[in-house]
Amino acid sequence: MKKLVSAVSGVLAGFLAATVFFADFTNIGSQSSAEDSTNKSNAEKVYVPFGKLDEYYLFASGGHSGQMFIYGVPSMRHIRTVPVFSPDSATGYGFDKHSKELMGDYTWGDLHHPAFSETNGDYDGKWLFATDVGNSRAAVMDLKTFTTKDIINVPNTSGPHCAAFVTENTEYMFLPTRFAVPIGREYASLDDYSQKYRGVMSAVTFDEKTEKLNIAYQVALPPWSYDLSDAGKKMSKDWAVMTTYNTEEATTNLEINASQADRDYIILFNWKELEKMVADGKYENITGQKMIFPEKQKGGIYLVPVAKSPHGVDVTPDGTRFIASGKLAPSMTVFSFEKAFEAIKNKDFAGDRNGIPILKYESVMEREVNPENALGPLHTQFDDKGMAYTTMFISSEIVKWDPNTGETLDRVPVQYSPGHSVAAEGDTVSPDGKYIIALNKIAKDSYLSVGPSHPESMQLIDLSGDKMEVIQSAPVNPEPHYAQMIKADKLNPLKIYPKEENRPDSVWKQEDTRIERKGNEVHVYGVALRSKFIFDAKAERPDVIEVNEGDKVFIHLTNIDLDQDITHGFAINSYNLNMEVQPGQTNTLEFVADKAGTYPLYCTNFCSALHQEMTGYFLVKPKK
Amino acid sequence: MSRKMSVSSVILSCISAVLLGVSIFFPWWGMKFIAPQYPEGLDIIVYPYKMDGRIDIINGLNHYIGMQEFSEQTFPELSYLPYLVGGMALLILIVALVKRTRLLLLLVALFSVGGVLGLYDINRWLTTFGTNLDPKAPIQIDPFVPPILGENTLANFVTHSYFATGAFLMGASFLLLVMTLWRERKK
Repeated sequence: MKKLVSAVSGVLAGFLAATVFFADFTNIGSQSSAEDSTNKSNAEKVYVPFGKLDEYYLFASGGHSGQMFIYGVPSMRHIRTVPVFSPDSATGYGFDKHSKELMGDYTWGDLHHPAFSETNGDYDGKWLFATDVGNSRAAVMDLKTFTTKDIINVPNTSGPHCAAFVTENTEYMFLPTRFAVPIGREYASLDDYSQKYRGVMSAVTFDEKTEKLNIAYQVALPPWSYDLSDAGKKMSKDWAVMTTYNTEEATTNLEINASQADRDYIILFNWKELEKMVADGKYENITGQKMIFPEKQKGGIYLVPVAKSPHGVDVTPDGTRFIASGKLAPSMTVFSFEKAFEAIKNKDFAGDRNGIPILKYESVMEREVNPENALGPLHTQFDDKGMAYTTMFISSEIVKWDPNTGETLDRVPVQYSPGHSVAAEGDTVSPDGKYIIALNKIAKDSYLSVGPSHPESMQLIDLSGDKMEVIQSAPVNPEPHYAQMIKADKLNPLKIYPKEENRPDSVWKQEDTRIERKGNEVHVYGVALRSKFIFDAKAERPDVIEVNEGDKVFIHLTNIDLDQDITHGFAINSYNLNMEVQPGQTNTLEFVADKAGTYPLYCTNFCSALHQEMTGYFLVKPKK
Repeated sequence: MSRKMSVSSVILSCISAVLLGVSIFFPWWGMKFIAPQYPEGLDIIVYPYKMDGRIDIINGLNHYIGMQEFSEQTFPELSYLPYLVGGMALLILIVALVKRTRLLLLLVALFSVGGVLGLYDINRWLTTFGTNLDPKAPIQIDPFVPPILGENTLANFVTHSYFATGAFLMGASFLLLVMTLWRERKK
């Protein structure tokens, strides 16, 4: 018994000593542990383990990179870059025949505001539209393949910044211009700005079958700058709104001269009415376009005065209001569609400008919202309860407020200077709430330094709690302007291209590969498979293409590895040519063999254990 | 022994015939290839009349070890097997109708021989493909014979061979027939 007691007490003493010496009491009740647990829960909110996938896709515009960046939310992992307006050697975009034709002679673009196709005002996950402010183009991306299907040059317009926005059932995508130019972009002295310059807006349609964009008609609006826009929803679905600046019609030093007038305008227009005017022949044929001149073909377009130089204008999810952000005025103005319709019905106008009737500010305005010390309101998104979230560029924060009362509900600082923000399906008729991402223009010291040139910064904000909370930050290449966030299950991308045996220029069996000569044209119908190229199965060396100097060469290559993620590349050494061939895809390179000599060709996209052996030769016999 | 079969025996034989007939439309045998890059697995699924699964991809990968390509055309069995099986089902049905116990014995014997031949045939093909490897293949491996049933490891692939629904239906058909014979013997 005595032995037992001493044994037990010995063990207890040992435990006590161990506890005293080795246990860590330092963080009991301390501040750091509370912070640690907050950070831990934030980390858990954004961690997506292998085998699980993100809940949302983020399509962030790439600005002057001309590309579209695809991210996953909430992990904020960059998944892919899709080239749209700029060449991309990684995917062969701008090198293969189709994308080379799409690009024309352009080598860059300024991709601004992306917009998903919609059905009944909600994202349908089929197409993504985008505009190029740099070279006045518009593009459409297929969300099955994440590739650009068509690019259209928009005539008479210079920089469709005020786009893209699509109507409730993707009837139209409207492209109003940022810069006014003379019709046809002809030369005209800036002294004649007010007479000869115009701010042309284009109504673009998209044909899903042919996958082609087309301009239905244009409207020769006054020579002002058109900044941002939104389509109506539900009760306002036939309407659209867009902000203007430089209604002063200044032609130099816009920073000062376009900031003089107390009021600029929101253009309010009824696209159904414009469509009818075009159908009734109320337009003029100019530069091959059906052009409506508002001062001559009257109707459907109205001006709403707004605090000077507004930036964003956003329609509430229920479609009853549109909210203009002041930019220079420290407030948001809530306008009522219902009041506007009433005023239009009663012809309650305060004169006109350039032949377009002006509605009275007081008769359309519902309230001015001015959160204390909030400066530089730019863009507004919405949550599932219809609450508004406005980015404040100058005071570097997002302000949550109630459009019904104007009451400020919450504020969260972001680093630094947000331009746009994007909430989960936050510009549709049914936003999801959950997340909003601040697209910050300034990153400064947020990330490891890479020298004087900085990435931009995106901050993910959790909307599920009482307070907005920044839970993740991700660097992004220059430069997201707007973005779109869509529930991942709305998209159903292809894993491989379908085996379409009748596809022009495709070959599916090794023995069908061949090289055909027609005069000085050489057509190669080849296949790529792990781990070889076969251009002509019957040749002594099936992976060799031999041509004469000056021949026009067409290389059609089909990737017959119908296996997920087995991409092959095809490059000709020193010929400045590279393209990608996805599983089941047929892709074409078209070029003139203008350099005689010996050029190895090889697979550029690591495909298999014997990828290094996936090579051949392109031989160009010199002219005699 | 040459007595007529009982009513319940006739019904059991008919069920046996139907199960065998139906089995034609189900996969009999399969092999699943699993690799680090293919956690979802690549399948070969064999029906009496066709092959399913990701044959092209498996062929593409097999060429690295110099295995011959295979397809439905490689196996002439697929063109006559459904008729053999259908014929057997018909025979069972006929025996059930003429109700001869002695013929029942013959059926079971025929069925057994067919089954053994089938297994032999599968093994023959597995041996042919596993041992006739192109000596010029980029990856040299020793000839091998994957098992008809169970697991095998080859390079980065683990293969699982298994019998499928059709084989189980056939097995059930056979057991029913044996059971019928057993009942008739006891009488």
